[in-house]
Amino acid sequence: MKNFKLLALPAFAAAGLLLAGEPAQAQDCTQKVGAVLPTSVDWGRPIAETAQFAVDIFNEAGGVKGCKVDMILRDTQVDPKVGVDAAKALVDLEKVPLLLGAVSSGVSMPILTSVTVPSNVMQMSCCSSSTAFTAVAEEGKTNGLWFRTFATTRNQAAVAAMLIRDKGYKSVAIFYKNDDWGQDIGKLVAADIEKLGVTVTANVAINDGQPSYRAEVTEALKSQPEALYVALYPTEGSAVLREWVSLGGTQKMVVANSLKSDEFRDAVGLQYLGEAVGHDSAPPRTDSAASFVDLYKAKFNAEPNGPGLPNVFDAVMISLLAMEAAPELTGDQIAAQVGKITDPSGMTFFPNADGLKAAKDALAEGKALSYTGATGAVKFDANGDVSAPAVAWTFTDAGTAESQYFTIEDVDGFIGSLGN
Amino acid sequence: MIQSLFDGILVGAILSLGAIGLTLMMHILRFANFSHAELLSVGAYVALVFDGAFATLAPFLTNKWGALSATTALALATLLAIAIAGVTAVIADRLVFKRLREAAGPLTMVFASFGVALIMRNVIGLIFGLQSIHYSNEIAFAVVVSTDPFLLVKPDQLFVLALALVAMAALHVVMARTPLGFALRAISENPSLAQVNGINLSRMVTITWLIGGGMAALAGVSYAVTNHLSPVMGRDLVLSLFAAAILGGLGSVPGAVIGGFVVGLASSLALLIVPAGYKPAIPFLLIIIALYVRPNGLFGEAR
Repeated sequence: MKNFKLLALPAFAAAGLLLAGEPAQAQDCTQKVGAVLPTSVDWGRPIAETAQFAVDIFNEAGGVKGCKVDMILRDTQVDPKVGVDAAKALVDLEKVPLLLGAVSSGVSMPILTSVTVPSNVMQMSCCSSSTAFTAVAEEGKTNGLWFRTFATTRNQAAVAAMLIRDKGYKSVAIFYKNDDWGQDIGKLVAADIEKLGVTVTANVAINDGQPSYRAEVTEALKSQPEALYVALYPTEGSAVLREWVSLGGTQKMVVANSLKSDEFRDAVGLQYLGEAVGHDSAPPRTDSAASFVDLYKAKFNAEPNGPGLPNVFDAVMISLLAMEAAPELTGDQIAAQVGKITDPSGMTFFPNADGLKAAKDALAEGKALSYTGATGAVKFDANGDVSAPAVAWTFTDAGTAESQYFTIEDVDGFIGSLGN
Repeated sequence: MIQSLFDGILVGAILSLGAIGLTLMMHILRFANFSHAELLSVGAYVALVFDGAFATLAPFLTNKWGALSATTALALATLLAIAIAGVTAVIADRLVFKRLREAAGPLTMVFASFGVALIMRNVIGLIFGLQSIHYSNEIAFAVVVSTDPFLLVKPDQLFVLALALVAMAALHVVMARTPLGFALRAISENPSLAQVNGINLSRMVTITWLIGGGMAALAGVSYAVTNHLSPVMGRDLVLSLFAAAILGGLGSVPGAVIGGFVVGLASSLALLIVPAGYKPAIPFLLIIIALYVRPNGLFGEAR
């Protein structure tokens, strides 16, 4: 053993010298950031590719603080356990100060509470819509480290309430899918329309795969509503609505974006859906959104039609600019700069290579920026949430057609008028 | 209340039909066959294919029977579906269960039945797609039977109820009065003794599968007429069917019938007391209560 120690010491010293030699080539530095996205599902892969595309553009504009950004991507398999493991590895082993993701609320939430917040890492999601995050942020448990570029269920519920108000319905029965999303939106719509003076006659949970929905439908039917609000997926939605129509229920209905499907339209029948109107979130009708579509088409040779693509693009860009502005690359310091990047009174720019270079110059001069990207001018509220424009749509022979466009101001104004 | 009672009976009729085959197989072949519910899907989809074929070959068969959405084409297709689902059950037995019955224990059989269920479900999904479909996309409207108390009934559902009752009565007569019924019951009581008395075991097993598969097909078509066809319809129904069979007591045909009605009624009436979100738990609550009071089910015998 003694011999080994004697021999080993010079070896370690030599190794130390070799390691110490590395920072000499400082120009080629890289800055790691983490991403946890469901790359193993078909709709998750385009989200990850768009995130990498945004990183590439950012690197083209000189990277973060002169260093090339290296996005380390891990798969969540849409599984909270896998997602938390992946996030933990990125935070503990790769020491990333920023985590992008996840997509599903059920995956993002455990990562937020058990990985990023305890380790002081900023987390920005492209796609999680649950209002549970708003509640956690309001309790002060996110330490201001949480942001998302996807409008919450709150936003969609408000649009549903606006449609019910505009149609002048006085009493409404609600069918909601008995999962996190359905319970969330069912509860929010009920609360919103009650504030508008509309009576909620019944609020009925629909479980997947029941042998019959007759009892649920009867429950809502006997409350004799003037109209219906339906937040279900196509399979259960068609079963419930066929039963509803066959029992003579009203055909006045407002439906959630989940029912924007040909399967549902064909199963129920267009002749019974003439008075149905749906709601959905929409990309903004702005030049910056169009610029993103052009940018995307030039790169991928396809329209950015999948869910969350503009949102993940903006999530990456805003996070990286906040890193550029942060004095030190720690989660809290980066998060503190997000407000400076998305300041409505700041300098407006579009995040292509030239726009980013101009933005970084402005940051170096201490100026604030108003980030205007794929989802328009992004503005986070105190809980890290954003709002979004919306559309109303109706069923047609060809599928669905847009019947109305609500700007972000319409939606925000309405939510404000409800007093919450 | 009256409406819920009636709805429960109508749902229960379909569950009863499915549970009869299940309880027979569990009793005679002595294993819990989780692939049984897939025979409902097989029957429903076979009927869909032949319904379409008849409608193309002989359009005059597609006239509706009065207020019902049933047509002669669908009725003929259902008869074929009953036969083909029965044969499918026999084929599954020959390919999988027969070999395992000779070599392996009951637990292996249960797991094999999960495998068979997955194969049947996914083959249906591959051929017909995963979306739900209907024999007729037209919606059959309910008729107001009485306004006080308010009662809405769909003619289709009454027809299905009548059909189910006839099928159950016929099976009961076969089981209670014919030599075939005696032979089947003898096999389930004591296979060795029955064989000593000259009953052909493998022939009786085949007949059991044919009856179970046929009943399942009838249940599947009935379900599809009043609800919809989907590759996962068997999976959605399987736990309710087991609840009905266990509640009624394994091996008892009248037990399975009553079990089916109890499960249907309980799920329907439950909404008068608990929120709709808790409905799926009701059949299991019933099993727990029933087995607590009568460990062999309502009509089962200890063995």
